[in-house]
Amino acid sequence: MTLIKNSEIVQDHWAVLDENQALQADHNIIDLDYWNANKDALIASKAPLGLLVQGDTSPDQFIDNIQHFELIAINFPSFVDGRGYSLAKTLREKHHYTQEIRAVGEVLPDQALYLTRVGFDALELSTKEAGLLALEKLNEFSVFYQAAAN
Amino acid sequence: MYLYNEFDQTLVNERVEQYRDQTTRYLNGELTEEQFRPLRLMNGLYIQTHAPMLRVNIPYGLLSSKQLRMLAHISHKYDKDYGHFTTRQNMQFNWPELERVPDILADLASVQMHSIQSSGNCIRNTTSDPLAGVCADEIEDPRPYCEIIRQWSTLHPEFSYLPRKFKIAVSGSPKDRAATQVHDIGLHVKKDEAGQVGFEVLVGGGLGRTPVIGQTIAPFIAEEDLLSYLEAILRTYNRFGRRDNKYKARIKILVRETGLDTFKEQVEQEWASIKDGQLKLTNDNIQRVKNYFTPLNYETANDEALEQHLANSGAFRQWFQQNTKAHKQAGYHVAFISLKSPTCPPGDITNVQMERVADLADQFSFGQIRTTHDQNLALTDVKSSDLYALWQQLTAQKLATANIGTITDMICCPGLDFCSLANASSIDIAQGITDRFTDSAIDTGNISLKMSGCMNGCGHHSIGEIGILGVDKKGEQWYQLTLGGSDSHQSKLGERLGKAIAKDDVVDAIDDIVHVYKANRTDNEDFASTLQRIGLQPFKDKVYDAH
Repeated sequence: MTLIKNSEIVQDHWAVLDENQALQADHNIIDLDYWNANKDALIASKAPLGLLVQGDTSPDQFIDNIQHFELIAINFPSFVDGRGYSLAKTLREKHHYTQEIRAVGEVLPDQALYLTRVGFDALELSTKEAGLLALEKLNEFSVFYQAAAN
Repeated sequence: MYLYNEFDQTLVNERVEQYRDQTTRYLNGELTEEQFRPLRLMNGLYIQTHAPMLRVNIPYGLLSSKQLRMLAHISHKYDKDYGHFTTRQNMQFNWPELERVPDILADLASVQMHSIQSSGNCIRNTTSDPLAGVCADEIEDPRPYCEIIRQWSTLHPEFSYLPRKFKIAVSGSPKDRAATQVHDIGLHVKKDEAGQVGFEVLVGGGLGRTPVIGQTIAPFIAEEDLLSYLEAILRTYNRFGRRDNKYKARIKILVRETGLDTFKEQVEQEWASIKDGQLKLTNDNIQRVKNYFTPLNYETANDEALEQHLANSGAFRQWFQQNTKAHKQAGYHVAFISLKSPTCPPGDITNVQMERVADLADQFSFGQIRTTHDQNLALTDVKSSDLYALWQQLTAQKLATANIGTITDMICCPGLDFCSLANASSIDIAQGITDRFTDSAIDTGNISLKMSGCMNGCGHHSIGEIGILGVDKKGEQWYQLTLGGSDSHQSKLGERLGKAIAKDDVVDAIDDIVHVYKANRTDNEDFASTLQRIGLQPFKDKVYDAH
């Protein structure tokens, strides 16, 4: 995996909680089920926490707790599933979420620009090559008809 | 008409280079077929039966003569010397090479044209009334709003991977000439009591496998809120539209399954949070675009010379009666150019004809050409005194077939001859109908006949007064007939006549239908009224007793 953050390839400090549900010391990305089951302990630990959601997850399911997350990762089960774009845009525009929104799953270099325009500031690409290409693709357009999500 | 500024031009140029790179990477094996597919589709490129097909946008059906000459040039340089106009006012080229498409796009960009989002699961070209700006019954010219929608929807980052394609049509007149009720969103220009311009918004219309007439979701949305309301609908659709079955992925299914009231609540909830944001249109935003659509420089003219020519020539009179329409400006007329000649598939035009139409537009109609939903062209601003000369020159190009609105002016998809989706051919049926009715079309009166080669319905058969749908039965081509559809301001789906008809019998069956109509009509009764009065049964009896 190669991570792009704010138009640069960076080291990824985050780990997604796997099937064995073994936490690292901090910077864990958990899903909603894990959050709901372990909410109190997670809040008490005060460790930086990320939340993994699907493109069709309703913000209502986590928006009341969003202050506990330094990162929201939105999963793309397929690159043609565009729901994650609307979710990211909604988090930025409607809920004013200012921390990291990361695109994970099937993310292609040719989609990098649109993803960043709707509010993703981090993109997880499958390989280093794909990451480098995605960086190039971020500069393909110098003009846009739509305002960018902040 | 709208002219690109540096900003618009830069965007289109950068798009060409983006696609050039994507094509190169695909050809080098760096993009898989699956990955390349949505990218090429969003640039208008399909893979068809024989070759790729490239669909070029003609925004709201308005072309300059220079642009039409470029389409002629492209058809000659990259294709087989012809192009095909679609029911959504666009042009399709049936034989381009995939490798050369980036060059075609560059040629298009040089005349402020593109094929961005002319296919794929994204917001398509916005269509409109071909008589926008010239018809007397217009509330407000819809074209500036179409252009505003074009810009908002072009390369929209959030709505480029929708559940399915998304089509918007705008009408500025009470008489709907843009089939807005069978679009994902139909917009009707309205004025409120204070004279403020806005839109009635229809949602969930569409043809295809499940034809549905659009329903009103909002009776009046002020013009300043146009884009935020569209964005709210699109976001709701993008979030909740079905993605498990592509035949159930259009917004019409979402609206039906959710229920209009609930869907409306979802949209309005979304809208409330963005209504007063960046998408709000200011008067300046709207006026800037409106300035490109100010009335043309009409001269003071009258119809004296026209009357003279009408008195002298029967053939001209016939063309005038069938193929022209009144203009809101005295001394001017709208002239339709029929692309339904007996010698050519419906909607097709050769490169030479394109060149000549461009010349005629320069000579007679302010250098502008409109494309129509019925797959014809129109020169909308012709001085009445020039009509005779125009007719003569059109005649020389086989473009003066006096059949607008008649049974031979049919809408027809490319069918099995070109399309990989089709179950049956449509062009040869069209030819059979043309041969049968050419001599009697005008006498028969106006009948809208629409034909599709499969249930995807590109030929709009569901809303034809006579609809023909090609179906496959155990490898054979059969045809399902429907009667009584309408694409007017009160759109209606046609009713099935009975069981499907074998290919060889289709033209006879249409002939039977026309006979029943002619035998039963009162003086000036149109087809729809006769059908409504006598019902389907007499037509059924005649068609199925005979075969």
